[in-house]
Amino acid sequence: MSKSTVDLPPKGGFSFDLCRRNDMLEKKGLKPQSFLKTGTTIVGLIFQDGVILGADTRATEGPIVADKNCEKIHYMAPNIYCCGAGTAADTEAVTVEAFENEKFVLYCRHGQLTAAITSLPYRSRIKSCYSTDTSEETSFQAEFHNFQLNYQGYVQAALVLGGVDVTGPHLHTIYPHGSTDSLPFATMGSGSLAAMSLFESKYKEGLTRDEGIKLVVEAICAGIFNDLGSGSNVDVCVITKGHKDYLRNHLLPNPRTYVNPNGFTFPKKTEVLLTKITPLKEKVEVIEGGDAMEE
Amino acid sequence: MSIFEYNGSALVAMVGKNCFAIASDRRLGVQLQTIATDFQRISKIHDKLFIGLSGLATDAQTLYETNTITSGYQRLVFRHKLYQLREERDMKPETFASLVSAILYEKRFGPYFCQPVIAGLGDEDKPFICTMDSIGAKELAKDFVVAGTASESLYGACESMFKPDMEADELFETISQALLSSVDRDCLSGWGGHVYVVTPTEVKERILKGRMD
Amino acid sequence: MTKQHANWSPYDNNGGSCVAIAGADYCVIAADTRMSTGYNILTREYSKISKLSIVHSALQMHDKCVMASSGFQADVKALQKNLSARHLIYQHQHNKQMSCPAMAQLLSNTLYYKRFFPYYSFNVLGGLDNEGKGCVFTYDAVGSYERVGYSSQGSGSTLIMPFLDNQLKSPSPLLLPAQDAVTPLSESEAVDLVKTVFASATERDIYTGDKLEIVILNASGIRREYLELRKD
Repeated sequence: MSKSTVDLPPKGGFSFDLCRRNDMLEKKGLKPQSFLKTGTTIVGLIFQDGVILGADTRATEGPIVADKNCEKIHYMAPNIYCCGAGTAADTEAVTVEAFENEKFVLYCRHGQLTAAITSLPYRSRIKSCYSTDTSEETSFQAEFHNFQLNYQGYVQAALVLGGVDVTGPHLHTIYPHGSTDSLPFATMGSGSLAAMSLFESKYKEGLTRDEGIKLVVEAICAGIFNDLGSGSNVDVCVITKGHKDYLRNHLLPNPRTYVNPNGFTFPKKTEVLLTKITPLKEKVEVIEGGDAMEE
Repeated sequence: MSIFEYNGSALVAMVGKNCFAIASDRRLGVQLQTIATDFQRISKIHDKLFIGLSGLATDAQTLYETNTITSGYQRLVFRHKLYQLREERDMKPETFASLVSAILYEKRFGPYFCQPVIAGLGDEDKPFICTMDSIGAKELAKDFVVAGTASESLYGACESMFKPDMEADELFETISQALLSSVDRDCLSGWGGHVYVVTPTEVKERILKGRMD
Repeated sequence: MTKQHANWSPYDNNGGSCVAIAGADYCVIAADTRMSTGYNILTREYSKISKLSIVHSALQMHDKCVMASSGFQADVKALQKNLSARHLIYQHQHNKQMSCPAMAQLLSNTLYYKRFFPYYSFNVLGGLDNEGKGCVFTYDAVGSYERVGYSSQGSGSTLIMPFLDNQLKSPSPLLLPAQDAVTPLSESEAVDLVKTVFASATERDIYTGDKLEIVILNASGIRREYLELRKD
């Protein structure tokens, strides 16, 4: 694999070591796996002095709720936040990688949000191809072809990105394939239609902060209650010039409805075959100070 | 069949009051045939940090194999040892979770077929538990996390049995009952359980008696 | 021309969970009231519990048998209609209501009749037998059935079953002499247990929710209770 004699941890980028094996397994009739998804309702809108982003907090794995209170509004820069929908690992990775991206950070620093965003989408795809070991040109080409053919050609993340820069508030949506949109209000994810119905009927230009938050909460709630892929709580993030408010769990509309007041007992005690107790030593902390030892 | 169901597994971690518990079943199978009944799915990273790997056993072992660190640069224990040498301290559970996540995401387009469960005591002995899918999407929870072929059963059992702020003994009883009743409804896991209960002062490792079918 | 509807299926899954618990002198049957398809909720007020009999005279005895079904709603409706009609004929011929074990056998036959184009419905039948004891029958889609002490079917059944096992563990059906499968709980304890398992299943199963409908059958008749569940 690597030409050096010592195997050092790689510097980043994707590894395609297991692709061939996994492909072989799939051809032998094993079902491809499913990943953790954020079924999701994510929204954003522009109000009179900034941008408001909103998200639900449910993550699903098929019909099962894997996480009841996950965070879908990610930090990107002090003046930029981003909501992610799609495969959970991808949304996380795309947002984390973004502020490691030089161009993106550069644009952000110069306050050019639009440029910063358009530098994003294709990058995530291109990087995933070029970061493989280029000395293995043929295998890389084969792999690239392979993952284009496969459904996994894209990093499956749909984003709603909002921020405020020198030119004012901006709201963008980024589709999994890499195309972008700039809009005054936007929704994404499986609950996007439910949320958009509220935006389409109630959005107007020059909303106040309170009106804006109220509308975002209503839109997210529409997703939570009418889309099974979305659920639990409402997260809101308000970004204005030089200031932001991250309102984590702004609304909790779905508490557990019943807890048995009498509790319960286990009818049969667990049978233990073997017990091993390892006491843990207190870690001794050495505080530096006093006279230094003579050399 | 999904490749995750090839060997069969059940993993669960729960948070108590200043302590945590992590438990797994003991079966290793090849589809419906049982190969071993004393299989270890949970391994220790350091005294207060444990990782359990559900899914395909060969990938799980490749990920954390402790004995033969000859060529596997990506292996978890090796990575942790490098960290210990460089930083002269143990890794925090949060950091370790990010490490595992990064290792898994590196193979986004050709993943390891395993789903990790991480549990540890962090700063000031605050319990931390976390699970991921096979490509490293972290899922942090305050109560319990589950993984493996019995995960649906475990979700149901834990959701009904879990209470916040349990002491170590009650936590052990709860996690054991949840594990045993769940694996009894899953064909691919079972044959007893392996439970670690970790408090700031000691680690209690227990082997549970379960149905042998 | 290419074939247009290659992926069309005559079946859908409308989700939902059902639970039944048999006691010494009662039977509790419960189901949520959500009906959904894909990621959409079709209605929040759909009762999955059917009484299987048409009450048409004041002289008639109280009901002794109810069925809770999840799966494909159109098939469930057709099945219920079929059973009700068969039960009506039975009443006319015998001038009495069908007993619960008889209804259980009828349900099995009805399901197996469609062995090669099955009703996509997952049923639990609960009621009181001829001695007034609680009984629960659990089915697969093609009519294989068994008398048990408790059961759960539908989208949340894998989440519910382990906890019921833990709390109600019934004796093995292979034991000799045969032992009663009924649960040792009192009626109110059983109702509390049902509420707990549904609240738990609703937390994790996206197809279970909105409202819980509980039907309690005992010597004094039939009673209904409702509990609100999460609506997301």
